[in-house]
Amino acid sequence: MANDRTRTTASRRNFLTSAGALGAVGLAGCTQSTDESGDAETLSGTINIAGSSTVFPLATAFGESFDDDHRDVDVYVQSTGSGGGFANFFCTGDTDFNNASRPIKDEEEAQCASNDIEPIELTVATDALTVVVNNDNDWATELTVDQLAEIWSAEASPTTWADVNGDWPKEEIKLFGPSDASGTYDYFIDAVLGEEGPGHRQDYSGTEQDRTIIQGVEGSEYAIGYMGFAYYTENTDRVQAVAIDDGDGPVEPSLETARSGEYTPLARPLFTYPKLSALGEEHIAEFARYFIENATDESVVADDVGYVPLTDEQQAEQLSTLEDAIDRANG
Amino acid sequence: MATDSRVIDGFGQVSQTAGTVFRYLLLFATLAGLIALTVLLLFVANDAIQPLTADPGWHLVFLLTLVVPTLSTVGYLLARARAALSVGVAALGLVVVSTMFAGGIAMILVDIIPPITWAGYVLTFAVPTVALLAARRAVDLPLLAWLPVAAVVYYASLLGIPGPLGSVVGLEQTVPSVAALFSSLSVLPADWLLLVVTFTLPVAAAVGSYVRPAGDRVAAAVGVGGVAVASAAALSSSTVGLTPVPATTLATLVVVPTSGYVCRTVLSRPRDRIGLALPAVVVGGSLLGAVLVRAFEFAGPQSWVDWQFLTSAHSRAAIDAGLYPAIGGSILLMVTVALFSFPLGVGAAVYLEEYAPNSRLARLIDVNISNLAGVPSVVYGLLGLGVFVRYFDQPSGTVLVGGATLALLILPIVIISSREALRSVPDDMRRASYGMGATRWQTVKNVVLPRSFSGILTGTILALGRAIGETAPLIMIGAPDVLFSLPTEFSAKVSAMPLQVFAWASLYATPEFYQRAVPAGVVVLVSVLLAMNSVAIVLRNRYQNEQ
Repeated sequence: MANDRTRTTASRRNFLTSAGALGAVGLAGCTQSTDESGDAETLSGTINIAGSSTVFPLATAFGESFDDDHRDVDVYVQSTGSGGGFANFFCTGDTDFNNASRPIKDEEEAQCASNDIEPIELTVATDALTVVVNNDNDWATELTVDQLAEIWSAEASPTTWADVNGDWPKEEIKLFGPSDASGTYDYFIDAVLGEEGPGHRQDYSGTEQDRTIIQGVEGSEYAIGYMGFAYYTENTDRVQAVAIDDGDGPVEPSLETARSGEYTPLARPLFTYPKLSALGEEHIAEFARYFIENATDESVVADDVGYVPLTDEQQAEQLSTLEDAIDRANG
Repeated sequence: MATDSRVIDGFGQVSQTAGTVFRYLLLFATLAGLIALTVLLLFVANDAIQPLTADPGWHLVFLLTLVVPTLSTVGYLLARARAALSVGVAALGLVVVSTMFAGGIAMILVDIIPPITWAGYVLTFAVPTVALLAARRAVDLPLLAWLPVAAVVYYASLLGIPGPLGSVVGLEQTVPSVAALFSSLSVLPADWLLLVVTFTLPVAAAVGSYVRPAGDRVAAAVGVGGVAVASAAALSSSTVGLTPVPATTLATLVVVPTSGYVCRTVLSRPRDRIGLALPAVVVGGSLLGAVLVRAFEFAGPQSWVDWQFLTSAHSRAAIDAGLYPAIGGSILLMVTVALFSFPLGVGAAVYLEEYAPNSRLARLIDVNISNLAGVPSVVYGLLGLGVFVRYFDQPSGTVLVGGATLALLILPIVIISSREALRSVPDDMRRASYGMGATRWQTVKNVVLPRSFSGILTGTILALGRAIGETAPLIMIGAPDVLFSLPTEFSAKVSAMPLQVFAWASLYATPEFYQRAVPAGVVVLVSVLLAMNSVAIVLRNRYQNEQ
């Protein structure tokens, strides 16, 4: 027993000596200097964004590339819905930006004001849907919103075109649209069928790929479908767009009618609301500028995310709003 | 009774059918969930890893170098040496699990706590501990007198003199804290060297003490060898394309424990050493296969669970998307949850089991804790939002708030499972301890806690496994759906693996995200969970063997 113990201490001592020697050797050759060269010019800080799930992909796309350019800035994006973002995060002062797929409501502005938070409205893109039919279709090139709602409603569920309008051919309607996982699907229900309405019919070819919708409508004379506007603009020769009559006569979908607000109800502007006080911080002001400056970028806004980019005039207008706000925040 | 008066003519006939049907229904009930889950996981894994996209040559190579040798080794061990097989499986599990843990720790050391900070904290606690132990040898004072001394020494070490207490009354800081003093040195040892001293050394010492029953000299060799291997790994790391810090971490957490286990098995269980062939065959076969596949240029599967996926942040292009910030967030959350729930949960369990009188109040608390374990997690999320974010005015969605909320969520489970473990200590042992004149505190400390500790740990790890898979509370407290960098402090916003998977599934419903990134995220999440649970299972087996 005693013998055992001496052996133990001996080996532990050996162990410690050798480890210590190893450490000393290392210390001699392997040191680092801790002088930090501080870069005063780099932006740093956090940016908190919440709000609409529709604007979410756009905000994360810009957040991602902004984060790549400024490694010390941390961008956090949360999808809470426009209203949830205002009520629970933005107007309580937790977030710097709130995304919204509709303008801020009066009561939300009041809630923000009660916490000394002033939202600045910036338009960042336009979300538009296009209803498309086959190029040989000569009867349904103009549809009223009611007809559109009837075709897609779960209650009416017309099987032939004649069921909608007696003058139209007695042929079966072939329906193509985005699947129910898509934001486009939700927006269509919102805009055409109504939140409390009959609901979207389910006997249609639902897909998550816009390409399949174009192919389907292109291949059948009696087909109708809908998709994001951005995708239609790349395929204008394969299918024809339906002019939508919301009571003021049929309006063709185009960048101009979508931006001007004539193309209702299938187009809506998308917003982000920075809070004024946050714009006083340099990294947040810089991100807001970056957001608007890139909102005309078709490759991101239209191709990657699927919205209608801002025009140059719109961009200039939004930028001047933003710069005014930044000046006010700093002044 | 009526049946008493009945005349029994014979034994009659009893049909076996009902019993047989019942038996197979039970079997079905046992297997239904398991089979459903296995099928689901296979589907998910197939989507994530896409094994069929690999070259047939790739499959052939790995069939010959890995699958066939492994299966034949297992078959041989099954037929000849079952005990050795379990040794082999344990060693293989040790390699796999320790590699995953090493990856997580390396992530922390690279991106969250730089080695200088880590070494600073180790010194902060090591310096006063050593000083106190030395002082206790020199001066003889009662225990109560040591407590304030210890408090003062630790306070000074952690916060400096006079520290925040001084700044309250307006005193200038005269002596900085140990960590501040350490990091203010202009020349410090290189990062990897700091790690070797503050991290490898303790691990090597622990492994050495584990090997010691097999011989002191071997133990010393394993310890010194471990330190040497970790240093060598750091110095030669650039040749395998790693930086020194992760290389040291990997060597410390994979090579040192594995070689310790191997040494002890070889020396103290010579008959089972054949089992070590299994990990050797698997590791060797994988390496050989990888080399051959590269030599013959066979393309592997287009797996989404790859290095890029594990090390990059979310991207709007599914192919570039990764889980890195979410993995780091999950690890940090787990650390926070463990820090909060372990002391509170075990403390409550010990009190309720060992001290609490059998009163009505105790029974009321008892019933309520059981009920709390069943409260839906979204309610805990609301609690976290209401209490931590709104009432204590913390920023939403941070590591601290998330960790505290999840800790509350699993606290009842930790308490219940810890009580179960404490209850399994036979009363005879307590009575024996009292009979020897021990106080209740001595009995708890020397008899009850040591006997039940692995059971308590098992329960805690399983509860942590529940916390790591939670999404709802994190959504409620406002954790971001998308972030691009690891949280580096407790007050930084945090995401977690299940939350990231949920964000991909719900907000990026493109086929690529839905069919590839989401399954890949699920595979990583489930692997981490299985690794955690396997540790719990090993602990439980040890605990049952001790009983």
